[in-house]
Amino acid sequence: MELSDANLQTLTEYLKKTLDPDPAIRRPAEKFLESVEGSQNYPLLLLTLLEKSQENVIKVCASVTFKNYIKRNWRIVGILVEDEPNKICESDRIAIKANIVPLMLSSPEQIQKQLSDAISIIGREDFPQKWPDLLTEMVNRFQSGDFHVINGVLRTAHSLFKRYRHEFKSNELWTEIKLVLDAFALPLTNLFKATIELCSTHANDASALKVLFSSLILIAKLFYSLNFQDLPEFFEDNMETWMTNFHSLLTLDNKLLQTDDEEEAGLLELLKSQICDNAALYAQKYDEEFQPYLPRFVTAIWNLLVTTGQEVKYDLLVSNAIQFLASVCERPHYKHLFEDQNTLTSICEKVIVPNMEFRAADEEAFEDNSEEYIRRDLEGSDIDTRRRAACDLVRGLCKFFEGPVTGIFSGYVNSMLQEYAKNPSVNWKHKDAAIYLVTSLASKAQTQKHGITQANELVNLTEFFVNHIQPDLKSANVNEFPVLKADGIKYIMIFRNQVPKEQLLVSIPLLINHLQAESIVVHTYAAHALERLFTMRGTNNTTLITAAEMAPFVEVLLTNLFKALTLPGSSENEYIMKAIMRSFSLLQESIIPYIPSVITQLTQKLLAVSKNPSKPHFNHYMFESICLSIRITCKANPDAVGSFEEALFMVFTEILQNDVQEFIPYVFQVMSLLLEMHKNEIPTSYMALFPHLLQPVLWERTGNIPPLVRLLQAYLERGANTIASAAADKIPGLLGVFQKLIASKANDHQGFYLLNSIIEHMPPESVAQYRKQIFILLFQRLQNSKTTKFIKSFLVFINLYCIKYGALALQEIFDSIQPKMFGMVLEKIIIPEIQKVSGQVEKKICAVGITKILTECPPMMDTEYTKLWTPLLQALIGLFELPEDDTIPDEEHFIDIEDTPGYQTAFSQLAFAGKKEHDPVGQMVNNPRIHLAQSLHKLSTACPGRVPSMLSTSLNAEALQYLQGYLQAASVTLL
Amino acid sequence: MPVVAKQSERMRQFKNKGKNAAALRRQRVEVNIELRKAKKDEQILKRRNILFSLMEENISPEDKRNEVVQLSLEEIVEAVNGSNEELQLQATQATRRMLSRQKEPPINQIIELGIIPRLVEFLTCADNAPLQFEAAWALTNIASGTSDHTKAVVEGGAIPAFISLLSSPHMHISEQSVWALGNIAGDGALYRDALINCSVVPPLLALVSPVTPVGFLRNITWTLSNLCRNKNPYPPLDAVNKILPVLICLMEHEDKEIISDSCWAISYLTDGSNDRIQIVLDTGILPRLVELMASPELIIMTPALRAIGNVVTGTDEQTQVAIDAGVLAVLPCLLRHAKPTIQKEAAWTLSNIAAGPCRQIQQLITCGLLPPLVELLDKGDFKAQKEAVWAVANFTTGGTVEQVVELVQSGVLKPLLNLLLAKDSKTILIILDTISNLFLAAEKLGETERLCLLVEELDGLEKIEALQT
Repeated sequence: MELSDANLQTLTEYLKKTLDPDPAIRRPAEKFLESVEGSQNYPLLLLTLLEKSQENVIKVCASVTFKNYIKRNWRIVGILVEDEPNKICESDRIAIKANIVPLMLSSPEQIQKQLSDAISIIGREDFPQKWPDLLTEMVNRFQSGDFHVINGVLRTAHSLFKRYRHEFKSNELWTEIKLVLDAFALPLTNLFKATIELCSTHANDASALKVLFSSLILIAKLFYSLNFQDLPEFFEDNMETWMTNFHSLLTLDNKLLQTDDEEEAGLLELLKSQICDNAALYAQKYDEEFQPYLPRFVTAIWNLLVTTGQEVKYDLLVSNAIQFLASVCERPHYKHLFEDQNTLTSICEKVIVPNMEFRAADEEAFEDNSEEYIRRDLEGSDIDTRRRAACDLVRGLCKFFEGPVTGIFSGYVNSMLQEYAKNPSVNWKHKDAAIYLVTSLASKAQTQKHGITQANELVNLTEFFVNHIQPDLKSANVNEFPVLKADGIKYIMIFRNQVPKEQLLVSIPLLINHLQAESIVVHTYAAHALERLFTMRGTNNTTLITAAEMAPFVEVLLTNLFKALTLPGSSENEYIMKAIMRSFSLLQESIIPYIPSVITQLTQKLLAVSKNPSKPHFNHYMFESICLSIRITCKANPDAVGSFEEALFMVFTEILQNDVQEFIPYVFQVMSLLLEMHKNEIPTSYMALFPHLLQPVLWERTGNIPPLVRLLQAYLERGANTIASAAADKIPGLLGVFQKLIASKANDHQGFYLLNSIIEHMPPESVAQYRKQIFILLFQRLQNSKTTKFIKSFLVFINLYCIKYGALALQEIFDSIQPKMFGMVLEKIIIPEIQKVSGQVEKKICAVGITKILTECPPMMDTEYTKLWTPLLQALIGLFELPEDDTIPDEEHFIDIEDTPGYQTAFSQLAFAGKKEHDPVGQMVNNPRIHLAQSLHKLSTACPGRVPSMLSTSLNAEALQYLQGYLQAASVTLL
Repeated sequence: MPVVAKQSERMRQFKNKGKNAAALRRQRVEVNIELRKAKKDEQILKRRNILFSLMEENISPEDKRNEVVQLSLEEIVEAVNGSNEELQLQATQATRRMLSRQKEPPINQIIELGIIPRLVEFLTCADNAPLQFEAAWALTNIASGTSDHTKAVVEGGAIPAFISLLSSPHMHISEQSVWALGNIAGDGALYRDALINCSVVPPLLALVSPVTPVGFLRNITWTLSNLCRNKNPYPPLDAVNKILPVLICLMEHEDKEIISDSCWAISYLTDGSNDRIQIVLDTGILPRLVELMASPELIIMTPALRAIGNVVTGTDEQTQVAIDAGVLAVLPCLLRHAKPTIQKEAAWTLSNIAAGPCRQIQQLITCGLLPPLVELLDKGDFKAQKEAVWAVANFTTGGTVEQVVELVQSGVLKPLLNLLLAKDSKTILIILDTISNLFLAAEKLGETERLCLLVEELDGLEKIEALQT
């Protein structure tokens, strides 16, 4: 493309069209621009337009297009990537770099920002080697005296240098930083000094001050970036200049810079906030050098806090400033800065207490944005809030001054409570602050599971609870002072391990009552508190609160919980659903009378949410609750399973038919649970579904695999005979599933689960014709991609096969695939790898299987396999006695971590649909060691003399010693 | 699935970084780029002789007028190049005096006069000792400047001249030569080896005797240390083998500067590959070094600690020699030292011992290193905290499950998790790696749940979550 007027005209037309709301016009224009962007001069045309176009829209549009073009194309990915050639020719690159800085600086702000972005993208690639003049060019502009230009340079510098804050140290990076420091540090320092002077000469000129303060903010940010990796020599030498000025800026105020906006931070706040960050950086990393300045900053920052108002716009500044104090006061060598009683009192009084107050903004969130409020207050996503910062400062101060701080605050708490008592409806916020103060003072360590785990012993939590928390919760009106109710409930929740049990029991009916509160926060907290109390452990690993103790409240608890789900805003409240689940689990059979109503409500809920599942936690707990209802009821009355099927199958069918993906894995788990409840033959309703479960499409989704395997296992356990007789034509489909699973490294263990169930439950003749094919498939997989996980599962399978069909059958099937194969499997797989088998049941299966091979397989005694007999015995003794071998070959080290059985991301396992561990060997063999001894004895009586001679020739001494122990324990001897 | 593959690839890089035992031992990093000020506690590379000039300026004005002849630069050039010995001496002395003034000595200007070759010539005037001395002093001070300054002296041919002056019958000339040679050696490996190739070592070592005055001996020790200094390449082996026995004697001297500089020399010799470390170990000097590491004198403790720190970057066996010499008994004190650089160096040393096999880790536990390590992690200077994090990371990689339990019981978690707030990406990465090691150990004990709670109690979960933003 020529740099011609015609081309400029064309480009203008197309740029204009890209702004058209009509896609029929817009899209082709965008396509056209993309098609020409590889042409030489294209970027230069854009630069010309953004500078000289008559129309402002075109200027802006050209600047945005230019930036995006640079973003897409500047980086040369690599010569080898053929489909991404270098779209920008060298001469254009040079021209862009030569012109862009002056162009950026002379452009209006809107365009300047785009060009500044473009410069930093180019800089990321080319700076410093391929753009050596950039720094000098920028630094020279500092002398221009034009702060519009200077701010442009500073902004660009900031976007170029800010990556120093997170990059890892490297020679390359540090070379660049050193280069930047050499060229930039002194001019920046001079600019800093000059700007500060200008601020005092223009102290009465609002518009000038605004520009100057924007510069100062950028300068302070640059300071942070340049000092991040290490303390540069230059800045160490000039620390006096920087820190003295930073310090005085912290204490500066100017009415002209104050803003009316309550929400948005003004320039002054932004600058001070950045200075706090800078001071914190030095205090943390360069303490040795910064020590002389630190006390001044502590005083300045604390004065700043005392004089800063409650408006939201100061939040970031205040929380940064408090966090600075919190980090400093924990250091032993700065302890003295805080230890004076007056200092402590003043910090508590003027910094901590005011920032703990419940503000209008909090009140708004409490009422109108309760989900957000709960997340911040309950789940700790409040890191940047003032309350949190104040709380951290309390904890920091308590490290050295727990006694005095507690003393100071106790006085405060009392006076705030008195204020409240005088006129609760006006002064309720005082009580809120008092509760918050007690909470942050008392809590030293906290977890979701246990609430507070370490408390300040100087605070009497129970007394406070009885005197100030319970009365609020006892009041008849659950809707009065909702914030205080929420505070009270939260208090119970987090101090549940500190408050004595009898007090908790008194609280339970109060909490149940508050499930009816209109405020979302209050009834959510009530549900959450109940749920937490129900999970507490007492002695003997039982729940602290027993079902018997809950007996009087069962009905009202269940009624209120389900009613709470009908309150506005809580129809899918996960805390309530979790409380329902936990109540069922605690109350067990006492819920049975209410089950008919409960299950109706749950299925209705299920039907409603399956239209548009949006709350995963809510849904999960709902399915858990369903499972619990089934388990608890059927445990007492197995026949009740039919009524659950009646209630649920209709909804399940709808879920399956509408393919509600989120719910299908859950449905399979509930169905497995139901099917396992049946004691007799499998009902026909299940058999009708069976063919559908084998459809490949269901198996495409990874989340379906574990629950579907589980369900098929339930089918095999309960209905193997029915399948063999009535659905024999489906066996190939079943094996097809196995084949698909076994081919995947991630799912092969699931395939083995299925295969093991088939071997264990299906009548042998029904699968006889497929057996050889199964072994061949397994061998193919062994040859193509052998992994430790596969081998472990394979070993369990062949031993189970051996137990089920006999050792001889195992040997025969191997050798029928290929002569001498059995020996190879023994030598190359079983003997060397058996130590890797994990799991109690799995090890037992292998032990019994190998014992059979040793003692019930004639070819082991009188063919060339005989030489493997002793090594196999030795391996078996190793399996008994040696620690499990959990080493993994290097090349598959990491496959295993992601693919270990049980590790599933897309699948949420229902705890209460859980399957008991199944031991196919069961009572047949109680002690595998004794079983080995007995079997060897039997073998030795059949062929006297041979066993002892095999043992004495090659079994190692240690193994022999163990073996003798087994023989002794079994009271047998070898002949 | 490509996503999974990518993830495990990431995992591989991450895991292996922590697992690669060979990478655990961290050599003293030779940073080519330094943002910081040159370290204040490093040994001085080059020194200018200014002490005498200070005294001279205190001479009474009349004396000064009598003795000191003021000469312009032109006059100096003329006199130096002339043949009048009296004037030569005067001019050389004037030059030396300018170069000895405390502030901003005009080294560049003097070099530009082009008189260095003449000054070198004066070194050989065996019949004019005062001239030899003044020239040697002037050249010493020129060589004390930048690399370019030293280069000017060397290219003027000063090396052989100074080496032969080592054997001068006048002790003050011999001493000044030692000093000049020290400055040349301190410039870098190139000139160091140039000196060694000109056989500087035998006559230098010959100067060491029981009767050598302390001041002179200090100069010799310092020059010897510069001859041991610098890597890439290391100093030639035969020179090292000659110097080492003398250094070992010097380390027994009662003067603390002599001890300090000989320790610095040992620290340079141990700063390198394992075979270099072995040469030092073979002298049996380690117990003495460990003793010196416990010295109350900072100037002795610093280089001794550095030397020991270097030794434990070596093989397990070499580290064991340091352990057997008692290093673990001294480290607790140093970890608690008031000076951040000592804390840091001690923690670095500890981190390399913790990178050893579990029997060495056990010795570390037995010798009570865990409490000071945890303290340092909690309250130390940031530089030292970073090293302490490495120590913990190595410990959790190589330690047995029982040892890791002991570490956790020493309270390491709280300060470790607190450091997740550090403004240093590398440190954060190592901490995360360490936490994952701790969880591996907990898993083996079936204590995952308890460790989770512990981490959560200490706000670890929140801090890790905050890292994602």
